Amino acid sequence: MTSSLTRMVARALLAPILVVALAILVKGYANVGDGFAAGVVAALGVLLQVVVFGREAVAAALPLRWAPAVALVGLGIGFAVFAVPALLGDAPLEHAPAPGVSPVHIGSLELITAVVFDVGVFLLVLGASVAIIDAIAAPGEGEQ
Amino acid sequence: MAIAIGWSAGGGGFGVAWAPTWDLRLAFELDGLAALYGVLAAGIGTLVFLYASAYVPRHLAHQERSRREEARLHGAMVLFLVSMLGLVMAQDLIALFVFWDLTAVASWLLVGYDRHNRDARLSALMALLVTAVSAVLMLVGILMLRAEYGTVQLPELFAVAQESTTVTVAVALIAIAALAKSAQVPFHFWLPRAMAAPTPVSAYLHSAAMVAAGVFLLSRIHPLIQLDARLLDGLIVIGLTSMAVGGLLALGSRGLKRILAYSTISQYGYVVTMLGIGGAAGAAGACFYVLGHALAKSALFMTAGAVTEATGAKALGEVGGLARRMPLLAAGSGAAAAGIAALPLTIGFFKDELFFKAALDRGNVLGALAVLGAALTFAYMARFWTGIFLGAPKGELRPVERRLIWPVALLGALVVVGGLVVGPFADLARDAAVVTQRGAVELEAAYHLDARAENLMAIGAYALGFALFASGRLLGAPLSVFSRLGHDLGPERAYNASIRGLNRLSNRLHDIEVRDLRGRLIAVVVPGAGLVALGVAVTPTDGAYRTGALPAADVPLVVALAVCALAALAVPFCRRHLLIALALSGVGFALATTYSLMGAPDVALVAVLIETIFALLFVGVFALLPRDVLRREARLRAPRSRKLRDAAIATASGVVTSLVVWSAFSRPVPREGMSDRLSALAPEAHGKDIVTVILADFRGLDTLVEITVVAVAMIAVSLLLRGKLRG
Repeated sequence: MTSSLTRMVARALLAPILVVALAILVKGYANVGDGFAAGVVAALGVLLQVVVFGREAVAAALPLRWAPAVALVGLGIGFAVFAVPALLGDAPLEHAPAPGVSPVHIGSLELITAVVFDVGVFLLVLGASVAIIDAIAAPGEGEQ
Repeated sequence: MAIAIGWSAGGGGFGVAWAPTWDLRLAFELDGLAALYGVLAAGIGTLVFLYASAYVPRHLAHQERSRREEARLHGAMVLFLVSMLGLVMAQDLIALFVFWDLTAVASWLLVGYDRHNRDARLSALMALLVTAVSAVLMLVGILMLRAEYGTVQLPELFAVAQESTTVTVAVALIAIAALAKSAQVPFHFWLPRAMAAPTPVSAYLHSAAMVAAGVFLLSRIHPLIQLDARLLDGLIVIGLTSMAVGGLLALGSRGLKRILAYSTISQYGYVVTMLGIGGAAGAAGACFYVLGHALAKSALFMTAGAVTEATGAKALGEVGGLARRMPLLAAGSGAAAAGIAALPLTIGFFKDELFFKAALDRGNVLGALAVLGAALTFAYMARFWTGIFLGAPKGELRPVERRLIWPVALLGALVVVGGLVVGPFADLARDAAVVTQRGAVELEAAYHLDARAENLMAIGAYALGFALFASGRLLGAPLSVFSRLGHDLGPERAYNASIRGLNRLSNRLHDIEVRDLRGRLIAVVVPGAGLVALGVAVTPTDGAYRTGALPAADVPLVVALAVCALAALAVPFCRRHLLIALALSGVGFALATTYSLMGAPDVALVAVLIETIFALLFVGVFALLPRDVLRREARLRAPRSRKLRDAAIATASGVVTSLVVWSAFSRPVPREGMSDRLSALAPEAHGKDIVTVILADFRGLDTLVEITVVAVAMIAVSLLLRGKLRG
């Protein structure tokens, strides 16, 4: 059993870690970071919870068993960004808007398909890492 | 069927650019050649599927395997069919190469279907190696053409290619791959071995699809082959040799499927010869020949399978007199055998007529050789069919499904229909020949009741063939000597020797590299370090190893590097495992700091994350290991000699690395590389962070492949940890 201080810190850190991951993700195109880094940060946040509280407690609070599905959704987004332009007659992975065209802004956030691709990478890295963490933390057949 | 309709509607094509930077387009076109081979692959494929649906359950029952394994065969057959269709329609040599290798992979799965059987596995490996290794030559040839003319699009290549040594060598390399796929001498040895496959697979791969892919490729690139007469002559020599070798071996063999395999080698020898003769007559003959042969040969393979299922016999001599007991099979396969032997009233008569005509165009010697080849074919076909269906009845007869019989009867009927109403078949072949020849082609197939040369040659071939067949017993001894000589001295021996040699080499390397962790590290690090040291030694020292002033702004960098060096120095002096791990991650974090100080924040971020993961991994592993094991290991002391040796290696590599870094920084490269161009492009892509723009945009395809790898790794790890991969 971990100490109460560790548990308190871990509990308090989860939300900030996820926010940081999200920031790294959406700001990645203009600032430091990208989908991969964001995915790893978020996965480390989950790992901290698993180490401190144990898998059972975390599985009750967070949807760990959906991790593989999240990863596959991320892969699907990546392939969609790859394939949709090809179906529309452009080269595969051609990003919109085209060079020189001004993208839509939400605050300082620019809406471009490259960010969508990065979201796919983020979901894949997060899902795959959490799935592996979950598989390692799950009790094996001979244990318990 | 859809292909036939599509082609009669005028063909058509489409293209998708899939990597425009390299000018690679996924161009497909359903032209005459594609229609011919596509109709064969899909049409005969359909019949084979029906046949397999009756054959495979019996096959599995004989071996006491689960019915569920049936799906594996059908899946691989579909994969084969799809890649074959892609192959025949591809207009881009790179796409063609990809489909080419896909057919090789699918054939490996199919030939090695009986995976518990060592012989089947080895045969599958042989088929894969012979066709895939030669395919590498083909890739080299394609890239040579691309380097010469800057395109891999076939129509463009045909338009610009001129006769030159480069083109000749490139086309020869591609032709070698094609000849290996069509099992021509000296690559023919894989085909008889591939008879380890279940019969439907042989009926499909070795009549209409896999071996046909080779002559298809020769037809496809024929305009390039025509540029050099030496290539054409080479094809004639190889074709005639294959005809002779295949025919003689077929005449001397006893195994039913083995006879058919040798026959296939010989029959594709005809086609290669005609492609070598070239011209309108050769092109028309080759295309028609493939059509006639595929119909008849697949029927004969299915016959062999049905006979084996009904009687258990796998070779001539174990079976006889089946004609009265299985009349429909006898009639169907009789028509097919007559087709191969080129008797009148079958489609085969015309295939030989066109062959004789093309051969005569090139002179009387070739004409005489053609008659000899046809006589051999007549003899072994007569021996095959009479051996099974005539003579005294032998053995028990088990009932077999009708689906094992009627595909044979249907194909046999087609062979006869083709002999009576040759028009549609000739049209299909003519349209294919037009593509090969890139010009108008006359294909005239009709019966002429006069004493023209082709007719006389055919009669000569029948007579000679009958003489060979009748003197079968006399020929037995010399033929078996020939076959034994081929086995002892032939290319199969070279193949086996090279496989054994490679295995030994691999074992040696394995012994050196994988014995322990130290050996594995040495195997990677020492050759790498040697190369680096060599680079340092041969680089001129002029201007290298300069020193300069230390600006105040760089002091933090120096401090970070010093911390890094100190942490690295601390590693060998730590005794406890946790301390070693912490010192190592200290090195990593200090390095990450230097990255961030040198204007690479993205790299620094990833470095920090990776270091965090590794630190946690180490701590986690130590937590799992028993305490006393760790303590005992930490107390172990290495002998003094080993310590000295390790220290010497570490010092040497450290000194060399320092020299490399020092000399590299003494001569900064002018910044005109890829990085600058990409940086200039980043605003165009609406990005301010160049690293992210590269990952998601400029090199997005790489990223896509990488995340696919991550997904596959996730699935593998999950399966491994849950113990689902046991078995």
